[in-house]
Amino acid sequence: MRTPIVRNGHTLLIAAALLALASPSAAGHKQKTAPPAVSGPPNAAATAPAAMAAIADTAGPAITPVKVERVKPVREKYPTLQFFKANLEFIRSRYDRMREHASPQPGNAGPIDPRFLAYRRMIGDAETSRDSLVRAEDQTRRWELFANITDLGRIEDQLDLMDRQLADQKARLAELQRDFLGRQMTSLAVVMSGMPATELPASVTLMFESGDTISVTLSPEIGESLKHGGVLEICHRLIEPRVQTLTIVLRGGGWENSDPGYVVLDPSRDQLSFLRLDLAAARPAEGASSMTASRWINDTGLEASQGPETQP
Amino acid sequence: MSRRRDGGWWRRAAGAWGIVTLALLAGGIASARGLSDERFPFAARAGIDLAAAAARVWSSDAALIYLENDEHVADDGSAQRWGYLFYSPVLKKCRAYSVRGGRILEAEDLDIKIEAPPVNASWIDSGPALAAAEQAAGNAFRQQHHGALATMLLSRGAFDSDDPDETTWTVVYASPDSPSLFVLVDAASGRVRRTWRG
Repeated sequence: MRTPIVRNGHTLLIAAALLALASPSAAGHKQKTAPPAVSGPPNAAATAPAAMAAIADTAGPAITPVKVERVKPVREKYPTLQFFKANLEFIRSRYDRMREHASPQPGNAGPIDPRFLAYRRMIGDAETSRDSLVRAEDQTRRWELFANITDLGRIEDQLDLMDRQLADQKARLAELQRDFLGRQMTSLAVVMSGMPATELPASVTLMFESGDTISVTLSPEIGESLKHGGVLEICHRLIEPRVQTLTIVLRGGGWENSDPGYVVLDPSRDQLSFLRLDLAAARPAEGASSMTASRWINDTGLEASQGPETQP
Repeated sequence: MSRRRDGGWWRRAAGAWGIVTLALLAGGIASARGLSDERFPFAARAGIDLAAAAARVWSSDAALIYLENDEHVADDGSAQRWGYLFYSPVLKKCRAYSVRGGRILEAEDLDIKIEAPPVNASWIDSGPALAAAEQAAGNAFRQQHHGALATMLLSRGAFDSDDPDETTWTVVYASPDSPSLFVLVDAASGRVRRTWRG
């Protein structure tokens, strides 16, 4: 069976299996360079059911069902930094005193008395003649010595150059390793699968607690892909490692006034978490909460090498 | 007769073995609960990595500018919850994280406009800082004025006007019948820099 690969406008469609298998550090680095509050068209992915099996195999058995709530879960509020808030004006005034500010007095340096400069120059002139004689004698002796060691010096220069090149390459490799292997940050990938029995929503919108909103249009092409077992990547972004609620809204057609659904996320620190939303069982009358969802962690991270010093 | 004695010995041995096993199991469970219990108190530095990981997601240039206990501080300088405040020079915003039991319980954007310097990277933990404050004046204050430790906070420049570039712990003792006692502890050396009432 041919794997359905769909292109959605200018967004690049890639296989979700590749997403799961991708180096988590590379993903984290990519996200790091972009502002966390990403909105707009994200990457979309569509692939065959076999790829989903690959995702499951990659993630191992730790796929956990997630309940999509109809009512937004209420979490207990914990007061924090109470002393700071109670004394905010005092603390702010102290910080303000530490800020740089323009001085009303001019900060220009005054002219130096030319006599002081002349004294120094006169001493230098007096010493010059004596220094010249000493230097000439010294130069003669050095010429003889240099003649013998010039060749040796050249070899040493070449060795130094090689050392520097090796050091530069080592630093570059260490930087590459840090960037692509050792800096996995907490991130979340949300993917969608399944085709509703009734009607495909025109769009899906994710709203994060931070206020960031990501909206994806579900084109007929994507719908065809979902119908054949494809998977759509809705977003892949950095996320704070804490319990938080994700709001999911489906819109368009019969879904226009449907209720949102809520998923409580608890992303594991410094790991790539996946959330899969399945539309197969979803019905407009019950809203987004009729979706099924599951989550897992991509634990296929590569162990970073500690550098050549630790290699045999 | 002999068989009865043997049977009694075995029953007693089995009973003793059962008690020992139960005790070990109970101890193990209690220990495991203690380690994983989210109310397990911890020193301030133990929560900084988690808070910083979250702050870097918020803004890659975020730096710790302030921390204080969000719940009661024990005698050893540990607390069940600490609050960490980060500042992003790029965003010009502050965000706070409250950590308990290895989890972020609260994340909050502070709607304030301050430009605070980051605390120095090396600072003594809350335990040694509290010990220094107690030895210098805190212990005497608590006994003489029925006082109690109210707040421990780490900052740079907020309370040390003499040397605002230094990161310091400020330990605040409160009393029902007397002005509060402030003890300023150098966060690098652990030396008490000064004390005052107010």
